[in-house]
Amino acid sequence: MTFDFVEPVVFALLSIGVIAGGAAVVLLNRITAAALLMAFTFLSMAGMFVLLGAETIAAFQVLIYVGAITVLILYGVMFTKFSDRPRALFFQRQTPIAAVFVAAVAIPVALFSFSFTGAPPRPGGGDLPALATSVFTDFAFPFEIASVLLLAAMVGAIVLTRRDDAEEAAMRRRR
Amino acid sequence: MTVPLGAYIAVSAVLFFTGCAGVLVRRNAVVILMCVELMLNAANLALVAFSRKYGSIDERGSVFVIFVFVIAAAEVAVGLGIILAAYRNRPVVDVDEIHQMKG
Amino acid sequence: MPVGPFGIDPIIWAPLRLVIAVGLALFLVLNGALLQIYLERKIQAIIQDRLGPYHVGPFGLLQTFADALKLISKEDVRAAATDGWFFVAAPALVFCPMLASSAVLPFAQDIVGANLNIGLLYLTTLGSMTVLGIVIAGWASNNKYALVGGLRSAGQLISYEIPQILALVSVALVVGSLSMLDITRSQSGPFVNVLILPFSFVIYFIAALAETNRTPFDLPEAESELVAGWLTEYSGMRWGTMLALSEYGNVTVVCAIITTLWFGGWQGPGVDAIPLLGVLWFTLKVYAFIVVMMWIRATLPRLRIDQLMSFCWKGLIPMALVNIVAVATLALAFPNSLVPIAIANWALLVLFIAGIPFVQRRRLASLRARARASAAPAVHAAS
Repeated sequence: MTFDFVEPVVFALLSIGVIAGGAAVVLLNRITAAALLMAFTFLSMAGMFVLLGAETIAAFQVLIYVGAITVLILYGVMFTKFSDRPRALFFQRQTPIAAVFVAAVAIPVALFSFSFTGAPPRPGGGDLPALATSVFTDFAFPFEIASVLLLAAMVGAIVLTRRDDAEEAAMRRRR
Repeated sequence: MTVPLGAYIAVSAVLFFTGCAGVLVRRNAVVILMCVELMLNAANLALVAFSRKYGSIDERGSVFVIFVFVIAAAEVAVGLGIILAAYRNRPVVDVDEIHQMKG
Repeated sequence: MPVGPFGIDPIIWAPLRLVIAVGLALFLVLNGALLQIYLERKIQAIIQDRLGPYHVGPFGLLQTFADALKLISKEDVRAAATDGWFFVAAPALVFCPMLASSAVLPFAQDIVGANLNIGLLYLTTLGSMTVLGIVIAGWASNNKYALVGGLRSAGQLISYEIPQILALVSVALVVGSLSMLDITRSQSGPFVNVLILPFSFVIYFIAALAETNRTPFDLPEAESELVAGWLTEYSGMRWGTMLALSEYGNVTVVCAIITTLWFGGWQGPGVDAIPLLGVLWFTLKVYAFIVVMMWIRATLPRLRIDQLMSFCWKGLIPMALVNIVAVATLALAFPNSLVPIAIANWALLVLFIAGIPFVQRRRLASLRARARASAAPAVHAAS
């Protein structure tokens, strides 16, 4: 009795998780529920990375997406108030046309993508040594540019959300 | 019985188009940001799946994925900054109503 | 194909050993929490010159057991305005990452749940998932104080992840691997890593105190601040899970990381002869650090949220960055010898400890100047 059935079963479960989470983000009205289901999508995606053999990427996925980006989105959800309204007004006016367009492109692409084939996977030692060497030798320059990009994003986010002097004075007067 | 490469790409395509539909269809700016994150995730899955096309993981695909992580994180931070700054000006987060450049 | 003991069929043994492993991890976490609650109360009592629990059982050893029974039998109070599924799911979101961390802790020579070659990265990742549970708990309570407490706690946890990861990376640089077993094996005999990287140890210890919400960084859960913060609406076994099990489980995991990385893990006299003795040494070292953390709790006052954050961003992170730049440069410049790294690290530690009075004196002078400046106009207005 071999354990060959495990991999397709796990893949099926994870892909259901990924697609259901994605559909929930698009369709749900309650934004906090949508944010948590997006985190569930990210976790299932990390599971898919492990199934493909890229466990370092899976760890980074959870660390960055579930640990940081979901919390950021939750902060954004908590600080903005989207008023209660009838369900139809959660979607824009062009919903039917957009849905038709997207389905018309998505279905052929999804059917076409089944035609890709790859070599049977070789058991390897994991992706960490090759990835680490590559990032710090072949791709060292893009790595440094990415750090500068993160610095610029950090400074930009701080400057964008800073209150200017007129607002500070108004707040102090109110207190 | 191993999972074929095409199955991973199909999942990635479905997720990408789900996120794309979400961007086109939803009103709330934060939800649009969440759907953009879904699209980036789908791209990551496609990258990692293709990097395993020849048997074992090719590290150049994984390096690209790391850069996509970096860019996604930076984009969420700045995007939320923009949404919150606009919200402070006029307390609406509905993209149909933020159409005035003045004020 | 994992054939089980007594020749059990693999199809049964594979899921069965998974269940046994999870059960064992749960057993360890629960008993560890039980023991640590008792230790905390006894140690605080001894330091505060009183007796602590002595009534229930010999030396009060069954006190925590009695408390747990009381918690389980409490009525499940849930305010009607709380957010349904999230309120119930938040304790699980806080507890599960901590339980999953016990899979990579090396208890002895061959006793480890899973020898991942990204063990350290895995532990860091699970630590960052706890933040999500806390934000959800604060939001789901539908309570202004809980929400602000949850967001404050999340901010503290996210900020202190940075020096924590930088300190861990410096050890990984010196050892050359992220696997917990490799890190332990690289420290032979009495030459443990704390002799080479003491500054990283200090940075990680302080950041870990903040990560596990222990004093002096326990503002989010103190009873006198913000009405118990993000835990306000939780009572009974939900509170027990969130606070007791999760916090003491986190403390155990963090102390296990400290033991493995800086103090030789399971190694001690007699381990080569009897490998199982490693479990004893590991547990003793972990509990030594837990006792130190409880000692700190009984001694130091609490930091305010702005003091906490400014210490992280203006103090710990620059120090951690300097540390990592020094270690990385010296590791490249002298690839065969660990002595320059050790000298640099000890020098940084001495500078840090000797520099504290200077920083404090400057801050006191600036505070005095500010007080004088704000008092002077009041004096003019009064006269």
